[in-house]
Amino acid sequence: MTLRNTWIATLAAGVVLAAAPWTLSDFALSLVLTCLMYAGLTVSWAMFSGATAYLSLATAAFFGIGAYVTAWGLATLPYAVVVPLGGLVAAAFAALVGAAILHLRGAYFAVLTFGLGELVRHAVTYFEKSYAHTVGRVLIDVPAGTTVYLTVLLLAAAAVLTSYAVRSSRFGLALAGIGADEERAQTLGVNTRLTKIAGFALAAFFAGALGAAMAVRWTYIEPNSVFNPFIGFQTVLIAMVGGAHTVIGPLASSVVFSLLTEFLRLQFPYLFLILLGLLLILLVLYLPGGIASLWPIARARLAALGARLAKLEGGGARA
Amino acid sequence: MSFWLELAASGLITGGIYAVVAIGLNLQYGLMRIMNISHGEFLMLGAYLTWLAHTVLKVNPLLSLPFVALCLFALGLGVYRLCFRRIARTAPSVEAIEARSLLVSFGLMFLVQNAAYLAWGADLRGYSFLAEPVEIAGARFTANRLVLFGFAVAASLVLLALLWFTLVGKAVRAMMQSPTGAQLVGIDTAVLHPTVFGVGLALAGVAGALLSMVYEISPAMGEPYTVTALIVITLGGLGSTLGALLGGFLLGVVEAFGMHFTSPSLKMLLSYGVFILVLLARPKGLFAR
Repeated sequence: MTLRNTWIATLAAGVVLAAAPWTLSDFALSLVLTCLMYAGLTVSWAMFSGATAYLSLATAAFFGIGAYVTAWGLATLPYAVVVPLGGLVAAAFAALVGAAILHLRGAYFAVLTFGLGELVRHAVTYFEKSYAHTVGRVLIDVPAGTTVYLTVLLLAAAAVLTSYAVRSSRFGLALAGIGADEERAQTLGVNTRLTKIAGFALAAFFAGALGAAMAVRWTYIEPNSVFNPFIGFQTVLIAMVGGAHTVIGPLASSVVFSLLTEFLRLQFPYLFLILLGLLLILLVLYLPGGIASLWPIARARLAALGARLAKLEGGGARA
Repeated sequence: MSFWLELAASGLITGGIYAVVAIGLNLQYGLMRIMNISHGEFLMLGAYLTWLAHTVLKVNPLLSLPFVALCLFALGLGVYRLCFRRIARTAPSVEAIEARSLLVSFGLMFLVQNAAYLAWGADLRGYSFLAEPVEIAGARFTANRLVLFGFAVAASLVLLALLWFTLVGKAVRAMMQSPTGAQLVGIDTAVLHPTVFGVGLALAGVAGALLSMVYEISPAMGEPYTVTALIVITLGGLGSTLGALLGGFLLGVVEAFGMHFTSPSLKMLLSYGVFILVLLARPKGLFAR
């Protein structure tokens, strides 16, 4: 798809989805909202981690930071300020952490980001306990459901568009170059350090902004719920299922998984997570490129099939 | 004086457990590049096995230690066969092995932890074992903590001795130094890899069994130990067994003193601070030459 077609497709989808609050039931609307949240999280995650092969498990940390910006700021600031602020704080945090740890490759990086959620969660818990003398926070005076929905829709669409724009820019090519061979990219004049930090912070911005936007959906915020490792796990899983190298793959699989989550997680919470764990294992073992990696194969098969059919028909006509 | 002794000793006791958990994880990573972030879940399984044996069959937890180790070893062989063998065979590069095994163990973490929730529920479980206090040089400890320390150190030392003084240990060390070279002189990866993976899980299981004697257990108990073990092996250097042992004690003591001077709820922040400092200053570990 060219960049222009992508813009048109995303805008068209955005307009259709923007009508949802007036056409869908409350239940269906909350389903779509969950889909949009995971779509935004996954696409922005894949934008950095898919391209560079730096496996970030820190999504929950950024999401939680955003949520806490809302929890702390909503009393004094309007919602429209709090959401981008949550993204900016998460991005600043990512840039700071990234500057310290992005020179580490492979397992070290993943491990550090894995602990990041824990670290921030403990820090926030400690801060709340000793300075605010509270465990969680009740959000009062939250914006209407429609506002939240449209904000999340806007963020998800922005994540998709940014992701496409990045992929066809010098910056995106530099990220992909780092993923393919970091030393070669460096030799060819890419400032790998700056590129990585910028990519990491950009992905964190969307996770943080989504966290800030979604926080008002839960009227009670506590560290254990917003820094839930499940958010990071689900994001990685969805991106892996869809194929982290593409944009469409994660987008499509986030719809499927959010629906599954909504329906199954409340009814069979443990069994559902066991199945998801199993799914991730099977996927990494047997389909490391995700569903999207099947497309070229499927297309080739279809083409071959078409050719054979044409030949048969041609043969039939002659006989 | 006795207060400081108590503080240092409690740090060492915690550190002993850290060392056992970290050595297992470090062996797996050093030998196979498997960054097993589900390691703590197997610690949790070891704890539950011991608890079950004690409450249902009235088995002395110390007697069930070898049994737990064997169970986890067998489980490790199975897990390796089902999950990691394929990765090692099909991944195009070492980086791909690391990334894929990390993701697989991420999946394992959710699988095992939630299976435990399903089987035993979210309640804290525990039993009382050797809980009477003992006085040594003016410092007081509960007996079970001393037992825990003794067995943790013993398990670590036995493993070190195995690595240093037996032929299998030599093979493991050779393979860590140079996988290709080791294979050239006839060391069989297909035997060594599952065995070492199993030993890693067995150590995690032993650590869990020991912990269940002192603390209450829950399905979520493993995750913090995974993070701590990762910090410890960074301190000691990836792949270094002795480094993991010393790093474990060091982190235990640092945590004990740090918590005394600040606040117990800062434990995680403290160890994380140590982690980041070491990564920035000495990314190859404190003891690297």
